[in-house]
Amino acid sequence: MRRKKIQASGIVNAPLETKSQVKARQDNLGSVAEGRLRTYDPSADNVRKFLDLLAAKITRPLVVSLTACVHCGMCAESCHYFLVRPDDPTMTPVYKADQIRRIFKRHLDWTGRVIPWWVHARRPKDDEDLNRLKNIVFGTCSACRRCTLNCPMGVDTALLVRFTRGLLTELGIVPEGVFNVSRDQWETGNQMAVTEADYLETLEWMKEEVQVELGIADVDIPVDKPDCDFLYTINPREIKFDPRSIANAAKVFHFAGESWTLPRWGWDQTNFGLYSGDDALGGYVARNVYEAAERLRAGRIVISECGHGYRSTRWEGYNWAGFDQKIPTESVVVTLERYLQEGRIKVDPSRNPEPVTFHDSCNIARSGGLVEEPRRVLKKVCADFREMVPNRTENYCCTGGGGLLSMVEYRPLRLEVARIKADQLRATGAKLVCTMCHNCIDGLTDVIKHYKLDLRVVQVLDLVSKALVVPSGEMAARS
Amino acid sequence: MGSGRGSVPADILLADLGLVPRLCYNIFSFPSKGIYCEAEVIIQLSWIMSDTLKLFENELQIGALLFLTIVYTIRIIWLLRFKAREERTHAEGSASRGVGYSLMNIAMPWAMESTRRKPGFYAQFVIFHLGVAAAIAATFIIPYAPRLFEIRAVVRVFQGSMGAAFIVGIFRFARRLRTPALRLVSTADDYISLLLMILFFAAGVMAVPNTPWKSEWPLIFFFGLTAFFLVYVPFSKIGHYLYYPFARYFLGKTLGHRGVMPRQRRLIRDGTEDGQGSRSWH
Amino acid sequence: MPSIEKDGTLIRVNDEGFMACPEEWTPRIAGILAKAEENIDTLTEEHWAIVNFIRAHYEENGLAPMVRKMCQNTGFSLKKIYELFPSGPAKGACKVAGLPKPDGCV
Repeated sequence: MRRKKIQASGIVNAPLETKSQVKARQDNLGSVAEGRLRTYDPSADNVRKFLDLLAAKITRPLVVSLTACVHCGMCAESCHYFLVRPDDPTMTPVYKADQIRRIFKRHLDWTGRVIPWWVHARRPKDDEDLNRLKNIVFGTCSACRRCTLNCPMGVDTALLVRFTRGLLTELGIVPEGVFNVSRDQWETGNQMAVTEADYLETLEWMKEEVQVELGIADVDIPVDKPDCDFLYTINPREIKFDPRSIANAAKVFHFAGESWTLPRWGWDQTNFGLYSGDDALGGYVARNVYEAAERLRAGRIVISECGHGYRSTRWEGYNWAGFDQKIPTESVVVTLERYLQEGRIKVDPSRNPEPVTFHDSCNIARSGGLVEEPRRVLKKVCADFREMVPNRTENYCCTGGGGLLSMVEYRPLRLEVARIKADQLRATGAKLVCTMCHNCIDGLTDVIKHYKLDLRVVQVLDLVSKALVVPSGEMAARS
Repeated sequence: MGSGRGSVPADILLADLGLVPRLCYNIFSFPSKGIYCEAEVIIQLSWIMSDTLKLFENELQIGALLFLTIVYTIRIIWLLRFKAREERTHAEGSASRGVGYSLMNIAMPWAMESTRRKPGFYAQFVIFHLGVAAAIAATFIIPYAPRLFEIRAVVRVFQGSMGAAFIVGIFRFARRLRTPALRLVSTADDYISLLLMILFFAAGVMAVPNTPWKSEWPLIFFFGLTAFFLVYVPFSKIGHYLYYPFARYFLGKTLGHRGVMPRQRRLIRDGTEDGQGSRSWH
Repeated sequence: MPSIEKDGTLIRVNDEGFMACPEEWTPRIAGILAKAEENIDTLTEEHWAIVNFIRAHYEENGLAPMVRKMCQNTGFSLKKIYELFPSGPAKGACKVAGLPKPDGCV
């Protein structure tokens, strides 16, 4: 039997960095002092705590995913980490899931408890082991769920990875980037530590810009207006990096004759709890949004384009927060589709002549259920729309998912395995790649830069707003 | 004894055969054809089932099945004691349709990229599990409906199925040893369970002709192995079939609720089906 | 640690091209970073207006300025800033101004 060659493992051996954690403790941050945000305690019996947490937090679907795996290896070729590094057996989803599976079997499963060697069951030995686990579940997986959909048994490896991350987050054994963003979201209610003053100022500014651009005085970006059709929620990136999307949204909503508002507090639809596995953080952030909608008596919640934000606010957040959904919660792309269908806005696809392809974000398609809607919109606002292959729920992750964009130590590996995405993009011959997710914007931009592709990343709202036909009578009547 | 036709005593006839011909005779020959037919009828008429075989075909199986049922019940109770996930959101799709689609996954190779790209692998899966079904069916047919195995065609079908499964098993075992990604995650459970299944198929091929008057050992071996499996399976990976409906149910429920499953199949204008066209990246 | 080298000057950068040691920044380095990271051949006066503002704000406050402040102070619209620095104010202009990488997953 000719043995296949094996590549050295791509797992990054990042040590446990605690600089920000130490500073957070010194600064006596509220979230740390109150125990909401956990920090690493080297003197504690972290292995024991890990096992206790495992037993306390595990749920039925997780147990079934842990016991159902038959090590068939079908998941391997669905994972971009393994596809680009096919000689590295540590890149398979089954290997990653096995890291927590072995611990589960040793601690909670009968065969693993009585004859652990039979099923490779083992406990983590020490904090170094837990750190290695951190490097695997944070550093070699973007939790894209592609493996889940390719498993004959239905093992949800992405869910197992999130679960393990959650356990490690409880112990403070996380990459620095994860701690920093969690801290910001606990302390300020949004992921990028945007202050209320900055938030309101930016909205004012964008309002002025739109008014000037359109020559219409009554375009508004309302804040805390009650009894509207919907509450709009955004990604802090839109305040900190690029507020043009807020301006675009305001424009479109205005021409659609919409009554809408942003809330003063609870406007962040992104949710780092999804990535860190921290249901408490997830619930806190999501609840801010739901309560804002209740407070303002909004008819529905509309989520600006963000993948993990959509999944968190539309789906997971209600469960994390223990909050029953009462009003419709939808993506702004669905709102746009409705406007187009009802003829509330008019568009001219020739304004977007360049070939456009659509990237399905993992949290939008596989975990979110929005597959055809963005396509229907794009086909109306673009002259040349092309599908990439594979597409829809089989599309490849942008490779920046799962919070990887905030974890700088895993970047080289991530860019290496992004080759598959680069090849996929190049093959479309498109000039623009449209995505509904801010994470994917950065993820895809990194891929484009690294592999020197001739592409630009845009969002659906950008294209709709470019194609928007301003009714000529309107300007005169309203100004 | 004797048919009174001047035939050679059966035991001398049989003793003349070497081991391999005797094996083949046990496996492949039938009453009513061939030069041994007279001897066969004699043996058959005078043969009385041994107590051991009776025990192995009946009581042992029932006992082992009972054990299996009890263990599985305990296992399911254990599973259900873990907290369920609560769903508080409005549905976008249908959870029940998602569950149905998800449960049917093994019968829909077109539904997953992994099975579409590796049709041979999927075919092996089908062959292997049909062999399992045949083997299990045989353990009931032999003691309770043995007339079925008096029909040559039926026996051949069962032998063919289990024989093919045997070959697939060998391939899969070799694959598990050869492929680094599998070697890394495979446990003793994985290897030994597969080896035992390969053995089981071989035993099944030899047992289904159901001719204990020639030799009881293939049947004793087969039923012994069956009883062993009934006790072994719940603690090994072979018990995965118990978890299949649960795992698929949970996945289908969540993704059905969110409208991800079942996959909407739609033809795009250029004639390609949605989601198709996955390329090989190697 | 990766680095960018040009004409004998070595700039230590992190994996995303942000300066590892912001205190080492000089105007000359700005030019090198602009070419290497943003594909800008020469920094014009307009570029410098933005870069100088960012640098001054960082040195005084230890943080990158909000986008709005950048626009207000330089008089450029956001659109203009994106034209000057294709990666945008945070990832493009701040990088050229020698700031460390901004936090946040997005």
